[in-house]
Amino acid sequence: MISTRLNPDDIYEKVSIMCRALQHGGPDDEGIFLDKNASSAFGHRRLSIIDLSKNGHQPMADDQKRAWITFNGEIYNYLDLKHELRQAGAVFCSATDTEVILQAYLHWGTAAFAKLRGMFAFALYDTINAVTYLVRDTNGIKPLYYHINDGQLSFSSEVKALKLAGIATEEDETWPVRLLAFGNIPEPYTTLKKVFSLPKGSFLTWDHHHNNHAIRPYHITSAVSYITDKNQAEEYIRESLKTAIKRQLIADAPIGVFLSGGTDSSLITLLAAQHKQQQLKTISIFFNEKAYDERQYQNLILDRIEGEKFTHLVKQNDFDAHFPQIIDAMDMPTTDGINTWFISNYAHLDGLKAVLSGIGADELFGGYPSFRRIKYLNYLRKFPAALLNLTTYFTTDRYRKISFLKHNHYLADYLLLRGLFVPADIAKILNTDTRQVNEILFNSAPNITRGGYNEELAAWFESNLYMQNQLLRDTDVMGMSHGLEVRVPFLDEDFKKLAESISPGIRFNNHHPKKLLTDSFAAILPPAIWNRPKMGFTFPLQQWMKQNNEMSDESLYKGEKAKNIIKAFRKDQMHWSKVFALYQIQRYA
Amino acid sequence: MTRTLAYSLYQVSKLNKWAFKLWSVYDSDHNLMPQYLPAQNFKGFNADRPRFLTKVLGIATWPDIIIISHINLAIIGLVVKMINPKCKVWLIAHGIEVWRPLSALKKRFLKNCDKVLCVSNFTKEEMIRWHKTDPDLCEVLNNAVDPFMKLPIKFAKPQHLLNRYQITAENPLIFSLTRLASTEQYKGHEQVIKVIKNLKPRFPRIKYILAGQSDPEEKIRIKELITKYDVEEQVILTGFLDETELADHFLLADLFVLPSKKEGFGIVFIEALACGLPVICGNSDGSVDAIRNGELGKAIRADNLDELDKAITESLTTPLTENKRQHLQKQCLLHFNEQNYRSYLQQLLVDE
Repeated sequence: MISTRLNPDDIYEKVSIMCRALQHGGPDDEGIFLDKNASSAFGHRRLSIIDLSKNGHQPMADDQKRAWITFNGEIYNYLDLKHELRQAGAVFCSATDTEVILQAYLHWGTAAFAKLRGMFAFALYDTINAVTYLVRDTNGIKPLYYHINDGQLSFSSEVKALKLAGIATEEDETWPVRLLAFGNIPEPYTTLKKVFSLPKGSFLTWDHHHNNHAIRPYHITSAVSYITDKNQAEEYIRESLKTAIKRQLIADAPIGVFLSGGTDSSLITLLAAQHKQQQLKTISIFFNEKAYDERQYQNLILDRIEGEKFTHLVKQNDFDAHFPQIIDAMDMPTTDGINTWFISNYAHLDGLKAVLSGIGADELFGGYPSFRRIKYLNYLRKFPAALLNLTTYFTTDRYRKISFLKHNHYLADYLLLRGLFVPADIAKILNTDTRQVNEILFNSAPNITRGGYNEELAAWFESNLYMQNQLLRDTDVMGMSHGLEVRVPFLDEDFKKLAESISPGIRFNNHHPKKLLTDSFAAILPPAIWNRPKMGFTFPLQQWMKQNNEMSDESLYKGEKAKNIIKAFRKDQMHWSKVFALYQIQRYA
Repeated sequence: MTRTLAYSLYQVSKLNKWAFKLWSVYDSDHNLMPQYLPAQNFKGFNADRPRFLTKVLGIATWPDIIIISHINLAIIGLVVKMINPKCKVWLIAHGIEVWRPLSALKKRFLKNCDKVLCVSNFTKEEMIRWHKTDPDLCEVLNNAVDPFMKLPIKFAKPQHLLNRYQITAENPLIFSLTRLASTEQYKGHEQVIKVIKNLKPRFPRIKYILAGQSDPEEKIRIKELITKYDVEEQVILTGFLDETELADHFLLADLFVLPSKKEGFGIVFIEALACGLPVICGNSDGSVDAIRNGELGKAIRADNLDELDKAITESLTTPLTENKRQHLQKQCLLHFNEQNYRSYLQQLLVDE
């Protein structure tokens, strides 16, 4: 926090409150650095994974105290950078990656940010130039929220810390609209006014002299020349994914893999086992509900590897018992994350501090139905506007979603593919009018023009909207609620760049989702794993939520529309994710 | 298990300032173990059913909720409901006592029950299947590890037991504990005896401790089986095991096996697990709940000797380290602890 309005004691107090609010994610140590002259304080809660000694204490400064840092995440190429920096004359006092960021900055300035490979969010205070930087990784894996008001900057890894410290207390009343439309609260918005998410791959510069700021990207995406040879692409994929996994296995604390039984986590498990052998631990979850029980697929992989294998049952009772805790852990409303809460809970109980997860492959290689559906947008976009107005009269949500086409906005395209409720229904639920809902959804967000309706656009939608706002945010917050770091090798910067430079013709396949990925690893991946209907990391939530007394109790919900949705849900005519969103709205309202 | 229930109910009542009494038809007052419940909350009727019924008649208007711990006491439930229709009557459904056709009286009682607490999901399904009980009235309340069971912190094999049975820590040791009744031949110990014969060549030092009180008829039958399958060297019959020796036996063994077909829940499985002992059970009864459908132990088809053989072999060939035992204990207690049991019970009582 930087504030010339508050006295240093108040700043210190607020930062301590924020630290306490985030202690679940950093159970091992706490530190606060206060610079009275600069009216600035950094707080840190530590989850020690690399260099478990006291040398890793944060906030950390270089030996001459030229710069201070508070850092959340992991730099996977820190050893390479350290080597490079040593040759340039840097001297290191610890074995941490944190110190590498400090030295990289001191040597290369802000150009250092683009050299980092990993998942990170950090604040760095340059005492010489009197500037503070907030920096977030290129894939937005680690969260970083900031609040700027009246010449004061505050930042945190979770929204609730800013609220509890009394820094940002006013609710952003538009969040229920976004939640009902997207199923999450899309970046940069949050539940609080003036609290925003820092865009991925960018950094905020705060000038201490003038108390003003600027946000700039540090990562410039270069024009790609496509790889057009399939064999070559496969070879690159093999090599690059192996490298990514190898470097993400760096840890001084116990590390494991989430194994769901699907293609992506199976692949990561098999590749991680090649490096870790008997030291690799796996965590899997199964259910009594037969349709969701993936043990036969998990066992296919587990039989091929050594190491400790933890498998756990999650039952309806477990869900009911932990549901309030899960809601508390979410930080902001969302319609996912329950699965990650459970598996992280078990990983933590099984003694792990970090795990690898298969997130990201579906987005890169076309694992979602949206990759096939997106082409219809080419035709639908040609419908005359008058026809589109008629869609309001459709009764099933699937067709009513066509009404999104009335808006010439990329978010409308996305919501047509992925949205939860249509604006007309959102208006009814929230007792407002459709015009206002559309205003919030489309007019307040700048439009972005993308290319044609093809798989690359679908990949862009999935990565930048669904994965970013839902999968990654939920995974991080749920993992952190158990002091567990979830690493995502498919989002390794180099691997992602490679995947994106493969010509769409071979990168995507209309008939077999993620064919290029499974073909690349045909030698190690059992066909039974990929040659079957997609399951995902899915819980029997339709049934569990229906049987949950509170969620399915229509008397808890306000308004006719909401009550009818619950009634339909009890008859299995409504998807649980919609009810989950509604439940949170009535809960927070 | 009634002791744990009594303890939990007492604790819940204390917390909520509710009055709570436990009446037992078959115990007498001096049977009470005061760590579970103070004497003023307990009354034993020493098998005097008429006196029990009379006393119940006397107090039938008092309680808000009465929990009948066995369907054989159906008459009590019915009488209370008749005198005091506002009183909620709950039944605890364990296992085989309800997985069968019931007398007219018991059926009538079931119709008047406000809630049926089933010890396992299997029992719940059987209640629905046999008696068409309304699924909404059935709550699954899995048993829990007795809060006063002495749980091991270290996992070494107890020397005094090694001496007693004249074995060493190197003997792969399988353990079964069950009542051995000639009328209850579904426990599966016979299967284990048969499999021991097959395991002998692969595990020349294997031992099998079969513990539990037996009736004379069954004892003879078991001995004949042992001779028939040529496993006299391997099988050790201990007879009745005192409760105080239970944990030590779980520590002594490398594997607990009971491929039973008619366990309501199988509390012995969670007791073994709470001592860090891996378990194998049958897959066609309530045991599946006790091992959390495979999370904590292995379920096999009880009649299938090959499956049993394979499961035992797999377990005995996987080293059972101190860490693994500790982990198993932790996992078991995470789910089947009295705290969870109590809070679920409290939730149900509050909701009522």
